[in-house]
Amino acid sequence: MSAADVGILALRVLAPVLVILIVLPMLQWVERRGAGLIQDRPGPNRVGPFGLLQPLADVVKFFMKEDLVPSHADRFLYVLAPGLAAFAALTTFAVIPYGATLTVRGRAIPLVGADVSIGVLYLFALTSLSVYGIVLAGWSSNNKFSLIGGIRSSAQIISYELPMTTAAAGVVLATGSFRLTDVVAMQSGSWLSLPLRGWTVVPQFLGFIVFFVSAFAETNRLPFDLPEAEAELVAGYHTEYSAMKFAMFYMAEYINVVVASALMVTLYFGGWTFPGFTPTNGAGVLLSVVIFALKTAFFVWVFMWVRWTLPRFRYDQLLRLGWKVLLPLALLNLFWVAALVLWKVL
Amino acid sequence: MTPRLVFDAAAGLAILFACVMVVHRHPVKSVLALVVSFFALAVTYVLLAAPLIAAVQVIVYAGAILVLFLFVLMLLNVPEEARQSSDRPIHQALSAGGIVAFAAALLAVLRGYGATQAAPSVAPSPGDLAPVAKLLFSDHLLSFEALSILLLAALVGAFVLARREGSP
Repeated sequence: MSAADVGILALRVLAPVLVILIVLPMLQWVERRGAGLIQDRPGPNRVGPFGLLQPLADVVKFFMKEDLVPSHADRFLYVLAPGLAAFAALTTFAVIPYGATLTVRGRAIPLVGADVSIGVLYLFALTSLSVYGIVLAGWSSNNKFSLIGGIRSSAQIISYELPMTTAAAGVVLATGSFRLTDVVAMQSGSWLSLPLRGWTVVPQFLGFIVFFVSAFAETNRLPFDLPEAEAELVAGYHTEYSAMKFAMFYMAEYINVVVASALMVTLYFGGWTFPGFTPTNGAGVLLSVVIFALKTAFFVWVFMWVRWTLPRFRYDQLLRLGWKVLLPLALLNLFWVAALVLWKVL
Repeated sequence: MTPRLVFDAAAGLAILFACVMVVHRHPVKSVLALVVSFFALAVTYVLLAAPLIAAVQVIVYAGAILVLFLFVLMLLNVPEEARQSSDRPIHQALSAGGIVAFAAALLAVLRGYGATQAAPSVAPSPGDLAPVAKLLFSDHLLSFEALSILLLAALVGAFVLARREGSP
């Protein structure tokens, strides 16, 4: 492996991560302006044109704030928890294909961090690890509200992992591979001949709905943000956190939203593909990345839209929905897909 | 020889944190040490060209079972254990002897394994899940289904035990 190969690999892995980190503060602006739009009020509009510099001001504020560690907290785990949350969120992006294969001087560069054979499993492994950051934050703060937030989060994430994984199993079944590039390639075909090779969302609409609802629970977003329900738990697991440690949780939440959106795009909406579009040259590859980014941005906006539209569930309602509604629906979807595969429709 | 270095480091980490898990007196910290140990084990599986086992290790053990352990420990708010040493020296002598005997037996078996056992007949092609799936649903179908029924029985049993009298 030459130095150039190592450099290209590093770029492939780091590019999406860097883009997300740069876009992250902007997402917060979009969220707050979107909330203003939905609630018929201006939102942040004082710093810069349209309040565009508000995220910058917020970042400066986070850095300047006093960083407190409560004296009764478990110091090591208290500091470790926000890092764990952000780490688990960021590493997920390593296996998601974000563009077509680029060819530079005869060297083919697939635009994906690592095209591993266990792609879908890797994603779920990291999602299941993301609970540790929240649980440890809740426990190490040594605060009742934080602890309840952490415990809620662990029960919620474990419960919703089941319908989410079962729904994704339908996509894996139709593809015949855990590799995410295969999942994307499978969806780039045509609708006009059997087996159907278009976007998965059409034959597996039920699976998509289950995945979509579960994604809200997995990312702790409204209407399922019980671990940080401010009406009951102050701020839940991050009650005691301040300054950059708090900002890390905030970042982790937004990264999780971006990753969940990118996942929905990859599994159900054809990833970087678009009907009738085949990238042939450098510009085409660039266009494929733009298509992927636009699709992902759409779902990120849906996350925000839903947050300012729906009220919060009660905790028992949340668990009942997960176990008694979504899991049976996910299983039904799996049977449906299995039948389609058996009849050679998929 | 980078893979070898990473393998050795991961294996060492797994052993180290397994020891931490046993020695640490705080139950929550013990569970966390076990998480690190399992994660290091998953890394060794990847380097042994068994990515499926690695993913399952992380999803099932680190991601589900240990989270449940943590969940219960936090719910019960288990405090740090007090250090208690047995006042009878015979206990200490017996446990030390047991550890040495077990280690010796383990070592003997492992040394014999490398010499006598041939390489597995199914060559593990890196990342290929199809052979595993084929074996699971052909040669081992009966045990696979029996296991799933066993798990289902455990699930139903837990449900019956946890259900309160009179509730639907």
